[in-house]
Amino acid sequence: MNKRILEETVMRTLMKLSTLLILSVLVIILITILVKGLPALDLAMITQSPKGGFYLGKEGGILNAIIGSLYLAGGSTLIAVCLGLPIVLYLNIFARPCSRLVRFIRFSLDVLWGIPSIVYGAFGFTLMLFLGLRASLLGGIIAVTFLILPIMCRTMDEVIRMVPRELLHASYALGATRFETAFTVVVRQALPGIMTAVLLSLGRGIGDAASVLFTAGFTDHIPDSLLRPAATLPLVIFFQLSTPFPEVQNRAYASALVLTVIILAICLTSRALTGRYTKHTIK
Amino acid sequence: MTTNPHIRADRLNVYYGREQALKNISIGIPANRITAIIGPSGCGKSTLLKSFNRLLETNEQVTISGSVSVDGENIYGQGVEVTAVRKKMGLLSQRPYPLPMSIYDNVAFGPRLYGIKKKQALDELVERHLKQSSLWQEVHHRLNDPASSLSIGQQQRLCLARGLAVEPEIILGDEPTSALDPASSQRIEQRFLELKNDYTIIIVTHILRQARRLADYIIFLYMGEVIEAGPAREIFEHPKEKMTREYINGTIS
Amino acid sequence: MNRLRTVRDTIASRGMALITVASGGVLFLIILGLFLKSRPILASGSFFGLMASSNWHPLKGEFGFLPFIAGTLWTTGTALIIAVPPCILTAIYLSEYASKRMRQAAAPFIDLLAGLPSVIYGIWGVLAVVPLIKNHIAPACGVSSSGYSILAGGIVLAIMIVPVIIHVIHEVLRTIPVELREASLALGASKWQTVRQVVLRKALPGVIAAVVLGLSRAFGETMAVLMVAGNVARVPGSIFDPAYPLPALIANNYGEMLSVPLYDSALMLASLVLLIIVVIFNIFSRLILKTVERRVC
Repeated sequence: MNKRILEETVMRTLMKLSTLLILSVLVIILITILVKGLPALDLAMITQSPKGGFYLGKEGGILNAIIGSLYLAGGSTLIAVCLGLPIVLYLNIFARPCSRLVRFIRFSLDVLWGIPSIVYGAFGFTLMLFLGLRASLLGGIIAVTFLILPIMCRTMDEVIRMVPRELLHASYALGATRFETAFTVVVRQALPGIMTAVLLSLGRGIGDAASVLFTAGFTDHIPDSLLRPAATLPLVIFFQLSTPFPEVQNRAYASALVLTVIILAICLTSRALTGRYTKHTIK
Repeated sequence: MTTNPHIRADRLNVYYGREQALKNISIGIPANRITAIIGPSGCGKSTLLKSFNRLLETNEQVTISGSVSVDGENIYGQGVEVTAVRKKMGLLSQRPYPLPMSIYDNVAFGPRLYGIKKKQALDELVERHLKQSSLWQEVHHRLNDPASSLSIGQQQRLCLARGLAVEPEIILGDEPTSALDPASSQRIEQRFLELKNDYTIIIVTHILRQARRLADYIIFLYMGEVIEAGPAREIFEHPKEKMTREYINGTIS
Repeated sequence: MNRLRTVRDTIASRGMALITVASGGVLFLIILGLFLKSRPILASGSFFGLMASSNWHPLKGEFGFLPFIAGTLWTTGTALIIAVPPCILTAIYLSEYASKRMRQAAAPFIDLLAGLPSVIYGIWGVLAVVPLIKNHIAPACGVSSSGYSILAGGIVLAIMIVPVIIHVIHEVLRTIPVELREASLALGASKWQTVRQVVLRKALPGVIAAVVLGLSRAFGETMAVLMVAGNVARVPGSIFDPAYPLPALIANNYGEMLSVPLYDSALMLASLVLLIIVVIFNIFSRLILKTVERRVC
């Protein structure tokens, strides 16, 4: 009897400790980035593009990369919504439920979700060679779209399949077609979930480095055309850290802080939004 | 039975997968009357109702044979537009399912589908149908509030208004009061009695007293088969079949 | 009017079907693309010859992938050994023991851990893990190390796969019926006994699937490992040695690959190998999860 209680206590303590460990790792990471990044952060960092010799420690900032990342992630999120929403609505509203096609697509999206971003980068690169594109904002957008499409689809799918059948029936009974039902009733009902999916994808797009390494190129300028190369925040961090100059490395920490803040903001917005946009949602 | 039924089912068979839910149903539903489909739960009442507006086929693995004619036209025939069939019928489900939009937009949803875009025409329609379902008094000052903010009883009346706004000929009610409190149920029943002058109304109910109160015509369904159908008074007072009598007396349920 | 609506519905339906079917073809498209690009190198030597050779001299036209495969296996293995026990314990704690409030409080942490970009993990690895190994762990073990090592890569990877593993195990545990637990508790088993003998036994396939998903995530993770693993193209001998995992190889050499013959082809082959391994792992675990969750579709 005693042994059982002892075992229970030991395991319970171990579980609490490992939970604590995992939660505290996140806190430690955030604190490390904050402590190292804050001293090197100044206004110029986020309001200026690199001047000559920025990577040798001269004047400038990473505005080009912030804007580049936003363009890149924004563009690919937009494309992914335009492709993903029809896919998910097709799976849930148009296709015969549980048909072989539906099951295959869900499965294949799950598998695509697991593919590493470096592979998307390499594939994007071969695709660009095929299309005759150079490393550019467009190339990066293509690669990142492939990367976030499965995330977008499966996240929306989980929400849209929760839409009650009766709600669809109510709309059909009024004589609405599937198309009208899908794009008015279903989209409104699932709006909070769709927003979450969009923000999740956006965060992924901003934070990913490996897929844009080959495809987006790198530049000191804010891209003014889809066919120009674009710098991205993760790559700026990586390159700054790779230089031998301590002051540039410090800037890498500051840039990492900027990136972390952006990601945190997206996460928090997404959390805050889950409660909103439910005004019209039918329970 | 009236000579010219509004809806007529002829040798209608419905299968869910291999299981037969409706067996060889041949009935007529009289126009401008309230018809109640009664029977124990799981006997196929809702299935029969949904076969009238072709909502059945949105379900998986349903096979339908036989025919259902509305105004003499087989709705399962070739080249029939399913949306046109459904437009002819308003549906009230067991629980009200307002659409995820404002009260106003719920009522205007149908008319907008059919091309009414002018604000004035829509305003007028919304007001008329909300009045028709006796909801106007309660909501006219907050038409832009979400429909989900209404009480369940109000939601069901909103669903009625929404259905009426597409100007149907027939109203289908699938146990439309089962989720409502007694007062709300009574209001819905009251509406039905008023509406039957202009509409053919079919309700599914397992509440015999409700059928007695409302129905002019009764269809008694048991295990997917029509046991007996006829004018309400006959069925309740002089049932021909033993099973009907037992059901009405509460011996079987 | 009505006609128009039906036509629009039909057209939309066709168009959406097309996009959907196309999305199902993406995987094949990726495999095909990478395969076509890696054909030149496959023509120059046998596949297994390339994989088993440890001579990596691109300028001499020698492409042996063994050091990189070994590097990947070492870092991934280390990450799993570090990550799996606390992940299982935490997942059990959160789904079996913790209060609802505790669960809700922990959820954003796990989400954020999953949402942080890998560069951030990399930079944290450089700032915290590498010095820790160099100054404390390696000396304590009686070896000297620059800190940029398999262990550093393993630790960083371990943290990165934690959210995946916890999330999947949590989902799997949720599918186990309460009645099963109650039955065991009613027989007088303690909570831990119930968890170990009933819940975990029932959830074992799902837990394995979760670990495999974590494994495949670690396999393909690029930037963080690239930043802390040291990147020396040699088959490592201990966890304090530097390693050069496959994804890091691909990421690090994209600049030169077009100027050296066959180099690009070799990197595309590396991507293809990575892809195929990850896809196999993913299919394996998704199939298990499908049966565990018993969802109709």
